[in-house]
Amino acid sequence: MTTVALMGNPNTGKTTIFNQITDSYAYVGNWTGVTVEKKMGNIKHSKVVVTDLPGIYSLNPITKDESVAINYLLTNDADVILNVTNAGQLKRNLLLSIELLEYGTPVIIALNMIDDLKRSGIYYDIPTLSKRLGCHIETTNARNKDGISQLRDKLLSMPTDQLREKPALKLEYPFMVQQAIRQASEQLVNHFDMSPSYARWLTIQYINKNKVIRKYAVHNKLTPLLEQKEYYDAQNFEDKIFKTRLAFIDSTLSAAQENLTDTKNVEMTSKIDSIITNPILGLPVFIAIFYLMFKISFDWIGTPLSDQLNSLLSGPISTYADHFLASIGAMPFLRSLIVDGVIAGVGGVLTFIPQIFALFACISLLEDSGYMARAALVTDRIMQTIGLNGKSFIPLIIGFGCNVTGIMAARTIEQPKERLITTLISPFMSCSARLPIYSLFVAAFFPRNQALIVLSIYFLGIAVALCMAKFYQIIFHVEDSTVFIVELPKYHIPRLDIIWRGTWDKSKGFVKKAGTVIFAGTVLIWLLSNFGPSGFVTNIDQSFSALLGKMMLPIFSPIGIQSWETISALFTGILAKEVISSSMMVLFHTTSQTALIATFGSMFTPVSAYALLVFILLYVPCFATIGTIKSETGSTKWVVYSVLSSLLIAYTLSFIIFQIGSLLF
Amino acid sequence: MTLFINLLIAAIIVGLAGYEIFKITQKSKQGKCAGCDYKCEAKLMVDKARKQRN
Repeated sequence: MTTVALMGNPNTGKTTIFNQITDSYAYVGNWTGVTVEKKMGNIKHSKVVVTDLPGIYSLNPITKDESVAINYLLTNDADVILNVTNAGQLKRNLLLSIELLEYGTPVIIALNMIDDLKRSGIYYDIPTLSKRLGCHIETTNARNKDGISQLRDKLLSMPTDQLREKPALKLEYPFMVQQAIRQASEQLVNHFDMSPSYARWLTIQYINKNKVIRKYAVHNKLTPLLEQKEYYDAQNFEDKIFKTRLAFIDSTLSAAQENLTDTKNVEMTSKIDSIITNPILGLPVFIAIFYLMFKISFDWIGTPLSDQLNSLLSGPISTYADHFLASIGAMPFLRSLIVDGVIAGVGGVLTFIPQIFALFACISLLEDSGYMARAALVTDRIMQTIGLNGKSFIPLIIGFGCNVTGIMAARTIEQPKERLITTLISPFMSCSARLPIYSLFVAAFFPRNQALIVLSIYFLGIAVALCMAKFYQIIFHVEDSTVFIVELPKYHIPRLDIIWRGTWDKSKGFVKKAGTVIFAGTVLIWLLSNFGPSGFVTNIDQSFSALLGKMMLPIFSPIGIQSWETISALFTGILAKEVISSSMMVLFHTTSQTALIATFGSMFTPVSAYALLVFILLYVPCFATIGTIKSETGSTKWVVYSVLSSLLIAYTLSFIIFQIGSLLF
Repeated sequence: MTLFINLLIAAIIVGLAGYEIFKITQKSKQGKCAGCDYKCEAKLMVDKARKQRN
């Protein structure tokens, strides 16, 4: 049975390639000592086993999760290493490849994302690269499945026994380093029964201050290395090794590089970056881009299209459905359930699809153009200035799409306390589920400043999240120890197909929810507003939802909420935040946004409307998020804490905004 | 339409909604990916692995 170890830098498409070359795989528990799941699979129609290892930048681990890779090499005997690289970032990716090639096991390098490389105007001559690195190279584009079958065939047809006899890569390190490597490895071969290539690799890793190898040497009493430790460190051999590797990569890439066009792209990238990632201008540019994004999503594209859909829904669709149901003899309660309940609620939320699609299209465009990585870099600076780890911001950015995925992404944070903090603050990020209710209220109360108001809500969410993170950091005595590394790709003209795929991937969850949780929430609120203690009611004021809302009214009136309907709608928001909008449609008995907006006019002022939006932003997380907090923290205590603390923060902030706002305006 | 059919249709709609709420609470109890409606790469893999186990 042949075993393949899949290794590479993070975000090189490793998981996508793993998915495509294997047909059966399973999670086989966690890697020892860490929370990273161990994943193994079989290559289609074969007995070749592929093990997916966590993404790493080098064999010298920075975090505990990264130590999985080096421990694998020390304890397992893979027949082949499949090293997945990002072709566009080959200079950095090859630093890991060299370490793997020095290990001695046959290596296949997959130059993934080859299309992105071509788009940047560069290509590499594969035979030259292959010759210099001494290994087989395949080009792939995993997103489109290009080159995957060739890669699979290569893995299946590799004569591993013959390849094992091939010498490992030997770089020309400076004389002193070479001598040190030779002396130590000879002794390891003679006294510790190691193969020459393994002894050489182990020595290089030891000299290179690899933490795991240094522990391994102590544990196994590898005296030839232990005795020379101080000499290696005093001579700064680590630096010499790094420079040699870098020079080798530079010469290899220069020899293999073919310019498809001129190198204007590189110049352009550095010119744009001088403004976009500038320490002073970076943040204003970040805010301006987000403002423009909301302007497009709400003012320019989203709301006008949404209005069209709404007039179609509240006009012909509702009327036709009502007439049709009446003509086939449907009784009033059934017509009310279908027209005022399902159509008004589910349809009402679906009319916000233009805003959601437009916003996700903008986000996908920013991602594909290469800006999002810069945004993380810019925000990282702010995080650092208030003493937080920049790595936490990535899950928070993901939380803009959905808080659940944001919390899941917090798994990349090695420090348990930091991970807990990120989990607890993730629900404050304004997820896309809140967009329908924002759209409704900004269209009603801030028609000229829709983008600005939504932007302020998003930034308020970030500000609250950061303040809470700082607070938790002080309480938990967190010492910053993890490192934030982000890759800055070259800018390029975004591709339409990639933007569309990104938009659809992000938006389809919303469409799917319309048929599940939004539908369920709508029917639930219809039942609560049509039944009361005395059974079916014709007057909504006697319904369960009215009783519940009126009971809570004294608590909510200090934050500007004067209608029981809004309070009842807020309760259903726990199912999913989109349900708040659909519940309002049902409770106010309207399928028309225009009619709803007119009703709001008598119940809210712009200040109380803003206070309500702030409350919706921060109050109790939805069911899915609560479940994820429970499973990720493994504790009900943190779930209860998260619910109560967010409720308290939401109430306090909305109270301050409403009370001060009412005095000012 | 007779009262029975009216009631039956209403019961189906309410039943479906009730089932959805039940599913949501069950999925949320499982936590992690189950509660989320986004089909990301990791979730697709988990789903596929689960199907294979069954």
